[in-house]
Parts: sequence; C-alpha cells; structure tokens
Amino acid sequence: MNKLKKVTKELAKLGLGGDVQASEFRKSVRLTGHVGSWDEKVAAGFAAANRGYKGVLNDITVEGVGEEKIYRYDPGDRDLEGRYFDVLIIGGGIIGCATARELARYDISIAILEKEEDLAMQTSSRNDGMIHPGFAAHPGSKKAHYNILGNRMYTKWAEELGFELKRPGSLVLFPSRLEKYLVPLMKMRARKNGVDGHYRYISRKKVFEMEPNVTEDQQGAFFLPSAGIISPYKATIAMAENALQNGADVFLNCFVESFEMDGGRIASVRIGRGTVKCGAVINCAGNFADIIAELADDRFFSLHGRKGTECILDRNTGLTQHSILSMPRLIQRKSKTKGGGVVPCIEGNILLGPTAEEQPWREDFSTDRGHFQELLQKLDLNTKLSGSSVITYFSGIRPASWEEDFIIEPSERVANLVHGAAIQSPGVASAPAIAVDLAKMTVDILSKDKTVEEKTGFNPRRTVSYHQIETVEERREMVGKNPLYGNIICRCETISEQEIRDVLRGPIPVNSLDGVKRRIRAGAGRCHGGFCTPKIMEIISDELGIPMVEITRKGDSSPVLSGEAK
Amino acid sequence: MKNVYDVIVIGAGPAGMASALTAREKGSSVLIIEREDRPGGILNQCIHDGFGLVKFNEKLTGPEYADRYVRWIDEAGIEILTSTFLLELIKDEDEFRMKLVSAEKGVFSLRGKAVVVSTGCRERSDRQIFIHGDRPAGIFTAGQAQAFINRMGYMPGRRAVILGSGDIGLIMARRLTLEGAEVEGVYEIQSRPSGLQRNISQCLNDFSIPLHLGRTVSRVIGKGRIEAVEVVSVDERMNPVKGTEAIVPCDCLILSVGLIPEIDILKDLPVVKDGKTGGIVTDDRMESPQVPGLFSCGNAHHVYDLVDYVSESGEIAGSAASEFAREAAI
Ligand SMILES: Cc1cc2nc3c(=O)[nH]c(=O)nc-3n(C[C@H](O)[C@H](O)[C@H](O)COP(=O)(O)OP(=O)(O)OC[C@H]3O[C@@H](n4cnc5c(N)ncnc54)[C@H](O)[C@@H]3O)c2cc1C
Ligand SMILES: Cc1cc2nc3c(=O)[nH]c(=O)nc-3n(C[C@H](O)[C@H](O)[C@H](O)COP(=O)(O)OP(=O)(O)OC[C@H]3O[C@@H](n4cnc5c(N)ncnc54)[C@H](O)[C@@H]3O)c2cc1C
Repeated sequence: MNKLKKVTKELAKLGLGGDVQASEFRKSVRLTGHVGSWDEKVAAGFAAANRGYKGVLNDITVEGVGEEKIYRYDPGDRDLEGRYFDVLIIGGGIIGCATARELARYDISIAILEKEEDLAMQTSSRNDGMIHPGFAAHPGSKKAHYNILGNRMYTKWAEELGFELKRPGSLVLFPSRLEKYLVPLMKMRARKNGVDGHYRYISRKKVFEMEPNVTEDQQGAFFLPSAGIISPYKATIAMAENALQNGADVFLNCFVESFEMDGGRIASVRIGRGTVKCGAVINCAGNFADIIAELADDRFFSLHGRKGTECILDRNTGLTQHSILSMPRLIQRKSKTKGGGVVPCIEGNILLGPTAEEQPWREDFSTDRGHFQELLQKLDLNTKLSGSSVITYFSGIRPASWEEDFIIEPSERVANLVHGAAIQSPGVASAPAIAVDLAKMTVDILSKDKTVEEKTGFNPRRTVSYHQIETVEERREMVGKNPLYGNIICRCETISEQEIRDVLRGPIPVNSLDGVKRRIRAGAGRCHGGFCTPKIMEIISDELGIPMVEITRKGDSSPVLSGEAK
Repeated sequence: MKNVYDVIVIGAGPAGMASALTAREKGSSVLIIEREDRPGGILNQCIHDGFGLVKFNEKLTGPEYADRYVRWIDEAGIEILTSTFLLELIKDEDEFRMKLVSAEKGVFSLRGKAVVVSTGCRERSDRQIFIHGDRPAGIFTAGQAQAFINRMGYMPGRRAVILGSGDIGLIMARRLTLEGAEVEGVYEIQSRPSGLQRNISQCLNDFSIPLHLGRTVSRVIGKGRIEAVEVVSVDERMNPVKGTEAIVPCDCLILSVGLIPEIDILKDLPVVKDGKTGGIVTDDRMESPQVPGLFSCGNAHHVYDLVDYVSESGEIAGSAASEFAREAAI
C-alpha cells in the first residue's frame, strides 16, 4: 500500500478520518484539520509516524488551544550588528553548549545565541540529570547510539570540565517474580545496545543488602552499574565556560527571529541586538527547533512537548539510598506512575520524577496538583521518604518528534544548516557524543569554503573560577586567603559571601537570583531562600552596581521588588 | 575569649539572651554565638508594638524588647560572638565540641559543658504547602517581606494577596497598607484564623481588609513577575471545591503559613524529633533525654505566639544548663 494511503487509513481507524487530512510535503507527511482535543492531535501524530516518511508535520489545530506567547527580551542595544561568526549555535542548552565546546577545538569563531538571560534555563535545567546506561533506548535508534557513547564520554568530560559525576548504578526493580523471567531478554537488549559494565540480575536478598530502605515487596532487580548522575545545568555551564575559555562567545537575551537567506544558504541571523553574518548555523533550539527549521524553510519534522514534573527532597534524605531506583518499562504501563524513578542527585538530595504528559505548550513550566500527586506515589519505593521532605518541584518539557528519536543531521535543503533537534531523554546522557557529530558536520560544511584546522592552544580543562566549599578544612584554607569566605550567607547550604561574589565575577554574566542558584546552591536549601534572599540581593547590588529594585529573579521580566518604601 | 565555657548558647534572640542571663546569674561562664551582626533575633524586624505585655506589663516594639536584654547581657559582661556561624556540633564524652567560622576569626573550635540551642525558626515556603501554577518573582514569606520593608526600605509589591492568617501575615497586611500598597485580602484555608484576635481587629478590620476563611490559593499565574492568583474554597477535607475558583489580580503573594523550628545544627547528635512541634523532644527542664547537657528553648523548641513565653523558656533552659555544667564540673 502506498505510504499516504496507509496514514489515511490509520487516521480513519482513530475515527479522525473526517477531521484530519494527510498530504505529502516534500519528503514528509503533513497533517491538517481541526480536532476537539489535544489527545486526538497526539494520536494522529503518532499514527502518521514511522510510515516511511522523513518526518511528520502535525499542523492540526485543536479546539480551545491558541497561540503561545514566547518569552523574549531585547536589551535594546545593537551591539551585534554586522558582526561575523563562522558558526552560530542557536540555543544555550546542553546540546548547544557541548557542541560549542567541541567546535572550540578548531580555529574558527563561534557564538552561542540564547534567548533567555542565562544558559540552561529550559529543558537542560529541568530534568533528572541521569546519565542513562543506554538500556532503555530502542536498539538501532539514534537515542541508543548516542546514549551509549555519551555515557562513556562523561567520565573524561567531567574530569576535564570539573563538574561532578557519580555512577551509583541503576536498579530496575521487579515488583513480582515474573520479571525474573525477563532477565535474559534484558541482557540481550543491553548487549545489543552495547551497554557498559557488568549488568546483571540481583536477587531479592542482595537488593536489600544494597538498598536496605527499599520497600519489601521487591522481588529482585536488574542492575546497570554504568548509570550515572550529574547536575545538568552545572555541566551545561561548565561546557560553555570551557568553550569561552577557548575563544567562543556566548550572547544571552538573543532571540533568533529570522534568517536572511541567500541562494540556499543562511547568510545572516536576525536577533534583537543586530543582524549577525555567519558561515554555518547549528539548530539546538530544544522545544523551538522546528520553528527554527521553518525559519530556514527546512521544516521536515514537528515537535510535541511532553511535560514532566519532578520533585526534590531535602538533602538529609540522600543518605537513605545509594542507587537510582526505577521500574521496568513493561510494568510501568500498568502502574499508575509512568516511568522515571527515585534518583539520588549529585548534591545529596533525592529527586522523584518525572511524570509524562502530552500538552500543547513549548515553555509552560507550571505544575499542577494532579501530576504532583502522581509523582508523590514514587515515595513508596523507599520507606524512609515522605512528603514532608519536599523542598521544591518543577517541570520541564521534552522536545519529542513524532518518530520519538533524535534528529542529528545536516539540512538537506540549506547548505550551511545543521540540526541537533528533538533531543528528548536521554539528551543529557547523549550530549557529548551528539556534540562530536554536530561539530564534525559543521566543520565539513565550513571546509567547503576554507581550510579548518584544529587549534594548537585548545585547553580541554576548564579553569574553575568559583565553586561551593564542601568541607570545614577547605573553608579554613579559603578564609585564610579571604575573610569573606567566613561570612556565611546561605545557612541551609553554608555558602559564604565570597563564594557568591566569585560567581558574579564568573566568565558568563550572572545577575539574577536564579543565575546564582544555578552555579552554587545559595537559596536552594530547605528554607528556600527565606532568610538569605535579601542578603544575596545586597551582594549582587554591591558587586555589580545594580540598584536593589532592578535585581531580578530570572531575567528582565521578573524584578523581585516593586520599589522603595515611603 | 576562652575556648571552654560552662554554657554555650547558640542564637542571640530573646530565648538565647534570657537563657544566657539566667545561666550567668547562677554563676556559669557563658558565651553566646550569633550568626547575624547583632543580637535580637527576629525581634529586630518587628517594629510594631505589642511585645512584653505579660513580662513587663508594657507595650514595647520588638527592638525595644530586645534592647532591654541586650543591655542586661552587656551589664552582666556576657560575651557574644556575632557574625559567627556554627558549622559543626558534636558531643565527645562529657563535652560538646563545635567548629565555627567568622570572617574575623576564620574557622575555630570551642568546647562547652552544656549547650543551649535557641536558633529560632524558619518560615514555611510556598513549596512546603504545595502551591502550584507558574513560578514567577513576587512570592514572599511574611518574614521576608517584613525584612524588605522594615529593615531595608523596599516594597515587595503594591497589590498584595496574603495567604495564611498567622500573626506575621496580619501584621504585614497592616504594614503594607500603611506603606500605600493595596491588600486584596487575607486567605485562610482553615475555618478560623490562626492569628490572635487582637491582630485580626487591629490589622485587618481597622483597615477594612477582607479575611476569607475556608479559602486558599490554588494556582499562581504569571511568567516573569506574578500577575494574579487563583483562589478556591475547600471542603472539610481541605480539597478544592469545583466552581468556587476566582482570579485575583496582584503583584505579590505573601505567605504566612506557619513556622518550623530550626534545628538543623543538631543533625549529628542522636536527638529525637518531635513530630508535632518540629523541635526536639525534651523533658520539662528543656533538656534532651538522649543528649544530656543539650537544652533547647524558644522557637527552636516549638513555635510560641508571644515573645514573653519565649523568654521564659529561655530562663528555664539557662537555669538547667547552668546546673548541668556545675554538676559536670564535680
Ligand atoms: C522532565 C524531564 C526529565 C529528563 N530527564 C533526563 C535524564 O535524566 N537524562 C537525560 O539524559 N535526559 C533527560 N531529559 C532530556 C534532556 O533534558 C534533554 O534532552 C536536553 O536537556 C535537551 O537539551 P537541548 O540543549 O536540546 O534543549 P534546551 O535545554 O531546551 O535548550 C534549547 C535552548 O534554545 C533556546 N532557544 C529556543 N529558541 C530560541 C530562539 N529563537 N533564539 C534563541 N534561543 C532559543 C532555549 O531558550 C533553550 O535554552 C529529561 C527531560 C525532561 C523534560
Ligand atoms: C517574623 C516574626 C514576627 C513575629 N511577630 C511577633 C509579634 O508581633 N508579637 C510577639 O509577641 N511575637 C511575635 N513573634 C514571635 C516572637 O517574636 C518569636 O517567637 C521570638 O522572637 C522568638 O525568639 P527566639 O529567640 O526563639 O528566636 P529568634 O528571635 O528567631 O532568634 C534566634 C536567633 O538565633 C540565631 N541563629 C539561628 N541559627 C544559628 C546558628 N546556627 N548559629 C548562630 N546563630 C544562629 C538567629 O540569627 C537569631 O538571631 C514573631 C515571630 C516571627 C518569626
């Protein structure tokens, strides 16, 4: 049967035959029409996926779902007008920043353009921070390929870039005896994907030896020792800082609004701060990557945002669990909780997450009661956890394509455009490997016009200019150098005035409360900034010479105060 | 400064100062550790009056109440280390050992025979009462709003919604109104207010600020800065009642939803936490049965509504700590 007929038939099976039309657009299939609910649109998208087309353009409109207002802030200057960069990377998430770091090995000029006021403001700071072992991804998929390589590369990247990586391993718990029979299949899949480490079956007894606080009804587990954890935003920032150190630039508050095309190439990129000329463009725009593709008239895929809510528990819960706990896929489908697990974070907190919800918005990071309650059910895996330990919760949106796989390829239509799109989970785990390929593709494009050589002076090691003091001994030493390391500002996390000042002097400009919090945990503890917020603001004001009333929580539209008192 | 004391008091709020004074009167050598740059604790930002009615039969402001103690401490010659942060507290045989840090002294150690924990409390945050919706700027705890206005001279907002009818929230409703801000209303999930009747009448009724009982904030709206909240009525089991939602525009949300004793510094000691109060379990002399020589008082023990009783709890703890130190010395 021809591809289009097949799609049409599938739509009819869903009862959408009358409302939704399928047509061919270049090498992709396009869906149009109007439906009554978001779920119907999603069902139609999946029905059209993997039918032999390059991608699905799901342009169905949905009753009651309007346009989303996308956040942008233009500082008002035209500082970038007329400048040229060999490579412009759109998006300062983990994919954009990792790619910048890889490209910084070459003798070329590079700039990251990010619409938010800081890096890693979107998906890259709204996830579990898990370096998956590469077991869950479908054998043969790009996800599996990049996940395995990325997982392996993290050991070196963490060491060079000076961010913390732990490999506590992941226990896929078996809630019944039946799962034990799946172990050979699990092993086969792990082998097929190329998972590292001695993955193996763990008996019920051994599970309790490893994790004494796990709930009693577990009947065994599959253990994947290569599973790791990082702080995804600290890693993203570390990658960018190392790129910067090697000559790259980062421009924040730069919303890419359009391209100037010239004979099948992007000649320049228009942002609020000017029109920037370029040799090549890499699309790492996360939940907006299909919009960026469209700007270059190269839309062959569309994204659907799958929202996930996460919850962080007090640091004192961290000691109750060593490994990452999760449930196998097969069982998830029946249980009320949809995947995810209980993750001991790098900073010692425990994270519950994530949920999964198909929804229309690209940057609506709100949370709601229903999904939060669903999340709290995961507390049941560890007997020592309870809802009273919750210190915060948030959500992120996975940029999923309808094929549910990464898109990592040079454009077929635009000569100097490369896509790093639809990077949903395990995007963090895969980032170093994706970056290597995106960099290679970009260098290939640039090489057509000039010789691109590796630089001699590339330094893979990040110079760390700020960090959080962890031990009393280290504090003793640091106070010796500067007394302000002894003036404690954030009491929950024991962070001093000078640690905050160091952050504010870091290589990438930071001037908001969240910007500080993302780099060191000032205000991220159990009191949630209750006491230290005013003090941190005074330090920002003093260090950067910004009036108190102009200090923001997370960029221009979010001033903390409304003015001076009478 | 010595490095061994009979009694070391952690926190120089009204509880800590009262306990230090009493221990000193009983003949102990005493040192007070305070994290802030001056003693007084939370009273320093409570510029309204109504403190000391029980103890002094006078209506004092917070700072006035604190100043009396500060003066007595000074007269008694009790040492206070301000701007000093306790990093570690352990018990080693018969002694408590602590590591501290300050900009002036760097990291240093102290030993004490008895320790009084008077570290006060912290406020519950929006996350601890599970508020949902967006996460904009403009959400404050009442104490934080109070610090901004009273200590630093800044406004947290011009159009406020107050969630929770605790005393601090009520006092902030009045304070904001006096500063020219509009207070849209106070929302309380329970069917009765949690603050003192005196404050309901003086802080709300006198200023015609509405109090909505059995109603709570169900959702925060606003991407950058808060733009509105959705409020909703709840049933007896605290579940939201469909159809009672209303959107209230505002530019700040102030929370007065409870206080929690701050006892994190006790994490390395085998104390038992009281599930109800959030403080540690003590006997009636304010001593921890699990850690002899460790005393707790004031809001670090449980949250008091009047400072007068806080001081009283400090006296009990100070007296008992002094006795403990004397016996330990024999
Ligand atoms: C709940 C949840 C849990 C997850 N858990 C894990 C996990 O444990 N492990 C794992 O490996 N992966 C996980 N993921 C997936 C992972 O977070 C993502 O794959 C990864 O962060 C994607 O990175 P990115 O750089 O592609 O996207 P982003 O971090 O979203 O970066 C894209 C950037 O582009 C910017 N941008 C967009 N449009 C423009 C424009 N027009 N101009 C300028 N800038 C623009 C955005 O502001 C954004 O900063 C999870 C995802 C979610 C949502
Ligand atoms: C915001 C607010 C408003 C109030 N308004 C009123 C009112 O109007 N009327 C009334 O009667 N009562 C009021 N109260 C109640 C009463 O004032 C308090 O109960 C009382 O002040 C508590 O005294 P305290 O000594 O226990 O704690 P605090 O006054 O909080 O003192 C604790 C001290 O310990 C210090 N500290 C804490 N941890 C450490 C550490 N690790 N190292 C060193 N130092 C540390 C703190 O910096 C602080 O100075 C209010 C309470 C609050 C929180």
